[in-house]
Amino acid sequence: MEPELAIALPAAGAILTVFLKASPRLALLLGSIAGALAVAAIVVAAPGVASDQLGVMLSISAMSRALLLAAAGALGLVVAFAPSGAGRVALLTWGLAGFAGMAAIAAAPSLDIVIVLTLGIALLHAALAGRRSLAARLRAPALAVALVGAGLLFARAEGPPMLARFAAVGLAAGLVAVLGLLPYIHEFDPEEVTAASPIAWLAFLGPILGVVIVTRARDLVPTAAAAFGAVLIGLGLLNILWGSLASWLTEKGTSAWHYSFMADWGLVLCAFGIQVSDGQAAAVLILFGLLLNRLPLYLWSRRSMRESIQTDRPINLLAAAMLAGSAPFAGFAARILLLRGATQLYWPLALVIGVGLLLWLPPSLRLGRSLGAPHGRQAVGVGIALAAGAAIGLYPQPILSLAGL
Amino acid sequence: MTAVTAIAAFFAWAGAAAIVLADGRRGLAVGVGLVALGFTALTWADGAWLKGAFLLAGGALCAIELLRRGAQDWGLMPPGSTPRLILASVGAILALWFAASLTTGPDAPLRFACVAVLGLAAGRVLQGNAGASVLSASAALAIALASASALAPSDPGFAPYLIGGVIAGGASLLPVAEPSGA
Repeated sequence: MEPELAIALPAAGAILTVFLKASPRLALLLGSIAGALAVAAIVVAAPGVASDQLGVMLSISAMSRALLLAAAGALGLVVAFAPSGAGRVALLTWGLAGFAGMAAIAAAPSLDIVIVLTLGIALLHAALAGRRSLAARLRAPALAVALVGAGLLFARAEGPPMLARFAAVGLAAGLVAVLGLLPYIHEFDPEEVTAASPIAWLAFLGPILGVVIVTRARDLVPTAAAAFGAVLIGLGLLNILWGSLASWLTEKGTSAWHYSFMADWGLVLCAFGIQVSDGQAAAVLILFGLLLNRLPLYLWSRRSMRESIQTDRPINLLAAAMLAGSAPFAGFAARILLLRGATQLYWPLALVIGVGLLLWLPPSLRLGRSLGAPHGRQAVGVGIALAAGAAIGLYPQPILSLAGL
Repeated sequence: MTAVTAIAAFFAWAGAAAIVLADGRRGLAVGVGLVALGFTALTWADGAWLKGAFLLAGGALCAIELLRRGAQDWGLMPPGSTPRLILASVGAILALWFAASLTTGPDAPLRFACVAVLGLAAGRVLQGNAGASVLSASAALAIALASASALAPSDPGFAPYLIGGVIAGGASLLPVAEPSGA
């Protein structure tokens, strides 16, 4: 029953908050209760054990469960410590709706259902009021869904062995298209609200989609696992290079954050492509950092970026260190695991990734400064994000155990 | 039965081709209707009556909504649509090559229909700028993806068809948000 509750409760919470928009406190209270109950259902759910209450076998894997909990933590941070003036009810509404979709994707019994659900989420996301047209917002996710669908067809068809390789390429291409990574970067408008922008795909829905597509794709094309891994590593290196350089050199601060998400995803793709246990552990830690550190900091820095405020206080340097993946934060442990995994696979790859990691420093300093001087509720939020990052970095084992690694 | 499935697959391709070639709501409605009809017939030919009914209901709702709202015109092959015509033809040839030559085994009509509709609908989403055409292509995508689950080695159950039908029907009901400020 837990997977069904994990989907239904946040969906019900999102609907409630929409109806109670006129009384924001009640909406926040009821939405938060629904979200908390959904988190409890996910915590209680036994990983991999299927539930069949609705005629559909639903189960949540250990890795998906860990990332759902991280996403819930990120949503809680963002809503609880939203800057004054930000629409907390709207944030909670869209966060809960997205969380329901993520839980459904995590619990879906097959990749067929995952991609149909992704199309549904893409349509709802595209219908949100924003600065880009519906067609512009739907383009990349719809292409992604078609690519993954084609990959599935290739994987299941009887024919020459090269079909499995085509399937691997289709699945990997679909993954980067839905996330909005190079070569399918989603059109980005720096002034657009975050819920309607490509950041929602990159930093909130993306982690669970990435894990689900990668793990299921490996089962689907076992004969082309090496090709799948190679494509992921190639795309990962491309995004590391492009994302970090663009994040450093681009003019707009918001665009710099957008590219920094892409660079982090480059690391995740490399980690998934490596396919040894250290690589998987690195991927989980980077995704945790993306959800619990980078996403909240991005949201909290939007106001200071609008007001062109840049500060060099200790908190900015600490935030920059966390974003750059330096010790003692989670990114450091993840990078060590990634380099160790890459060395096990093919040591020159570790060398290339190591050089790529140096590119994180200049953009991270820039992003740290863009946080401005957080005060009040926002300062508490930044403190919690920094503490969480440091705690995971110093002792990552509980997170890895939660993810079944 | 083979002739019926072959005709159904041709209907699905023709529907996707209409979505690619049409700019007007009537043309798009006919396209979505043909896609839904083709995949429903392919599903029913397999004995899955309820699953087919989900697809038909979703496609019919989408087509009816397209016909009910907005300016009613066909908009078939407006000037400058030669590349779209080539896409529709080449898409069919490639899908036929994949389904009948490159791959083996049963369900060739379903493979053809899925590849053709996925390719053409994705092409339309990439190329289109109008809300109606993009949503129609998305509805066709949903129907094709749901039907493709029949090619899985194990029974996919009714869920992909139900979700696909809901998405196809719901796509036409979505408010097309105009670009606005942050």
